[in-house]
Amino acid sequence: MPVVSLPYKYLERLCGSDRKTIIDHLPMIGSDIERILEDQVDVEFFPSRVDLYSTEGVARAMRGFLGIETGEEIYQVNPSSITFSVDENLRDVRPYIGSAVIRDVNLDNEAIISLMGVQEALHWVVGRGRAKVAIGVHDLDKVTPPFRYYGAPVSRSFIPLDYDREMTLAEIMEEHPKGRDYSHIVKDKPVMPLIEDANGNVLSFPPIINGELTRVTESSKNLLLDVTGTDERAVMTALRVLCTTLITAGGRCESVEVNGVVMPDLSPSLRNIDVPSCNRLLGTGFSAEEIAGILEKMRYGAEKAGDTTVLVRIPCYRADIMHEWDVYEDVAIGAGFSNLDARLPATFATGHEHPVNALASAIRDICTGLGYLEVMPFTLSNEDVMYTRMQREPDPAALRVLHPISEEQTLVRTDILPLLLDLLRINKRRELPQRIFHTGDVVLSMQTFQKLALASTHTGADFSEAFATADALMRELGIFYTTAESTDPAFIPGRAADIMVDGMKTGTFGEIHPGVLNRFDIDQPVSGIEIDLHLLFPGQRETKS
Amino acid sequence: MQLTLNEKRLLLELVKKETTTPEEMGTILDRPADSVVQYGGLLSQKGLAKVERTVTTTLILTGEGSLYLKEGLPERQLYNSFSASTSIADLNSHPHAKIGLGWMKRLGWVKIEAGKVVKTGDAATSAIEAGLKNPDTAPADVKKDLLKRGLVTEEESVRYTISITDEGRKLASSGITLTGETGTLTAGQISSGAWKDLSLRRYDITKRPRPLWPGKIHPYQRMIDEMRRILLDMGFTELHGSIIQGAFWNFDALFQPQDHPAREMQDTFHLAGEQPLPKGWEKVRNMHESGGETSSTGWGGNWDPEKAKATVLRTHTTSLSIQHLAAHPEPPVKAFCIGRVYRREAIDPTHLPEFEQLEGIVMDTHVNFRNLLGYLKEFYGRMGFESVRFRPGYFPYTEPSVEPEVFIDDLGWVELGGAGIFREEVTSPWGITCPVLAWGLGVSRVAMLRMGLTDLRELY
Repeated sequence: MPVVSLPYKYLERLCGSDRKTIIDHLPMIGSDIERILEDQVDVEFFPSRVDLYSTEGVARAMRGFLGIETGEEIYQVNPSSITFSVDENLRDVRPYIGSAVIRDVNLDNEAIISLMGVQEALHWVVGRGRAKVAIGVHDLDKVTPPFRYYGAPVSRSFIPLDYDREMTLAEIMEEHPKGRDYSHIVKDKPVMPLIEDANGNVLSFPPIINGELTRVTESSKNLLLDVTGTDERAVMTALRVLCTTLITAGGRCESVEVNGVVMPDLSPSLRNIDVPSCNRLLGTGFSAEEIAGILEKMRYGAEKAGDTTVLVRIPCYRADIMHEWDVYEDVAIGAGFSNLDARLPATFATGHEHPVNALASAIRDICTGLGYLEVMPFTLSNEDVMYTRMQREPDPAALRVLHPISEEQTLVRTDILPLLLDLLRINKRRELPQRIFHTGDVVLSMQTFQKLALASTHTGADFSEAFATADALMRELGIFYTTAESTDPAFIPGRAADIMVDGMKTGTFGEIHPGVLNRFDIDQPVSGIEIDLHLLFPGQRETKS
Repeated sequence: MQLTLNEKRLLLELVKKETTTPEEMGTILDRPADSVVQYGGLLSQKGLAKVERTVTTTLILTGEGSLYLKEGLPERQLYNSFSASTSIADLNSHPHAKIGLGWMKRLGWVKIEAGKVVKTGDAATSAIEAGLKNPDTAPADVKKDLLKRGLVTEEESVRYTISITDEGRKLASSGITLTGETGTLTAGQISSGAWKDLSLRRYDITKRPRPLWPGKIHPYQRMIDEMRRILLDMGFTELHGSIIQGAFWNFDALFQPQDHPAREMQDTFHLAGEQPLPKGWEKVRNMHESGGETSSTGWGGNWDPEKAKATVLRTHTTSLSIQHLAAHPEPPVKAFCIGRVYRREAIDPTHLPEFEQLEGIVMDTHVNFRNLLGYLKEFYGRMGFESVRFRPGYFPYTEPSVEPEVFIDDLGWVELGGAGIFREEVTSPWGITCPVLAWGLGVSRVAMLRMGLTDLRELY
């Protein structure tokens, strides 16, 4: 989630309140305070509230929440004669562009930092790392309308930001730091998106870099915004958030005509809120007037439109309001969570343990009764531990992770006994005897099953111990079994047996093969057992996911 | 004074003998001599007897010594190998020529004349030859030669003498009863009643026993079981399901937009293969694209069914909750799940690629947001977190959303889990018309707080 830095002086000036009051109330509108510094507070806002990614946006919300100024902000958009043409050849490259003009800004250093902050946050959250949306802010007075957004060849050149010489688009993608970061978004396209003015001066090479020509400084008075992207809705969301932020900072917005469409549209959208539905969801008893009052605090325009209806004007920057319940949530936040009494409902239901976990509990009782200590190894393992060290062939049913994060975790375990041996290796310097067990999920093909494994190591650990333990387990589980000669290479030939239930192999026990012990670097003999619980209790077979 | 039976028997014999050896006493008491030394030691600790330890050195023939005692020393064997005289060259062919010639000369048995070895007389028995027969009584210089030639070695032998003290005599004269002491009771002694006449040996209660390690349930599992117990007590039904999930249930059914970064390979473990889409998937598509039949706008754009078929290791147990709801759309539903979930994170003190998550859901006709807060307070209260407070939260699949915080001494308010009411975009495709309260929390986080751990890796 994006972290927004709020400088106290700027915040206090825009907000009309003191820093302590603001900091105390910030978590109540939905944020995590990351750190409180000497001259600023760093706050993490939710990804849904893109309108709070600037000091201006936070101040606007806090003025309402603190009751300094409630209701919606009205955004005036005057026409400018500026037009934009969008070329057809961008249709499959980066077809959408939003634009607006902001006049008479008074950009001090803090306002510029805030503007860069909101731009960066929008790039990540709405723009998905500039792939979906990228933003450019320009000094309008350095260029001449009308503007043109079109697909240019990579040989086109201009002076990019932070450079003092002309570079071709190809060179920018190769050499410029921003080019290296973002060229992957467009480099395979037949043409490159480019914005130029009437005289062929380049404003921007979206989504990579602006031109040095239109760099915004403290002396910039009039700004041109460009927002390009692949998703029209996301482009317009970013444009509205930018415009309203700059208006709150003191600018005047003028519209731009893009291929005949006048933008930005900063008018609110309307929704009728059903008062009983809202009260039912929240468990409250608010009247229509009360709900309207609370929503005004949350900077909506709201008025009673009948006994059970509130007409709500949703500010254009609230891209997160997709559904009526999103407005209900703001009613709860505006009322204050601490003012909503927690209350248990009268839902009647009886609790039931899941049979898989009930069985696991019973097995834990038996194993601990037999003197075994429970361990909790990971479910992610690797081929080496699972098969190579066990002298076993890799299980074709094993599920491999496509992009493992380390060599230790490349597949989902198919057995548990190898993980117990790996634990005995780690604990080999500890006192003997060591008797450990684990029961839990394994995955074969696409199905999740449960297995149980036990391992015992001490100077006398042998086949007889494994047999006696397996026998006790099966007896306590109430399952009749017979034994059959096992050919499992993880055990010593002639010292291992398969547990047969109704003619089916359901597990194996015996003395671990010394070759396996060598591979695990274990010095003492080990007796081991592994049982397939889903074969013992076929009723509990998991359904395919 | 507490004496064992053996100490008593030894003391009574010492009264008769005054001074004795362990060997002699061993025969009388029918015990090994070593044991007698031990009993004597115990008596001497109590001042009833005196044990003297003397060390004597004896000379014992080495293997070489024994051989020469039988076959004669090298110089004798060499002397006997020729008659009156012989050439040095001839003599050198004898195996003992080197040592033998030197000693023959030193003992005056032969002399060298013009390259020939000539006997001087009868060669009487030498002192060393005599010493080899009785090394212990040999003169000191002979002993030295025997040791130097490696024919004998010194061996220390320890001898004990045990004698009674005045105090011992006094105790013995005051009368000692020789009742046997019993260590381990036998079945016969117990059932026959013979135990009534036995003197049961007392044990040293200050000596620590050999440690025993019991079989135990893992402390983390115990805490998981405690949470399960609480939720079962509160009337919740337990869910359990596959750790392999289709992206459809893990993300799409929960209204996670398809371009959300958390879905990517960077954050989620992807597996080979595709999962089929369930019946009714089209409604989920409509929900994403346009909000379906609800008041929602949806995310817009095109929803790609292929992307929803990807196979992943579940990133949350919510994938099980929504499947349970889809299968049980009628109220009431109260269910919970504690299960392992997976995130593609490198292992460090606060991150593991797999960890446990708890999740509870309640669906009923009249449940509401305040009820959700009620469940949270009740659950955390039963977990031992008395003070709970709430602040707004954000989760893609709940609205309203809330982040509960609990108060912990030394740490203050700590965020613990997340909660909310499932969005209508999530429930509507499955015909669910009642609100669904949902909350989840990281079980390992609770465990760390309760056990006071700072490194997540210590848990497993």
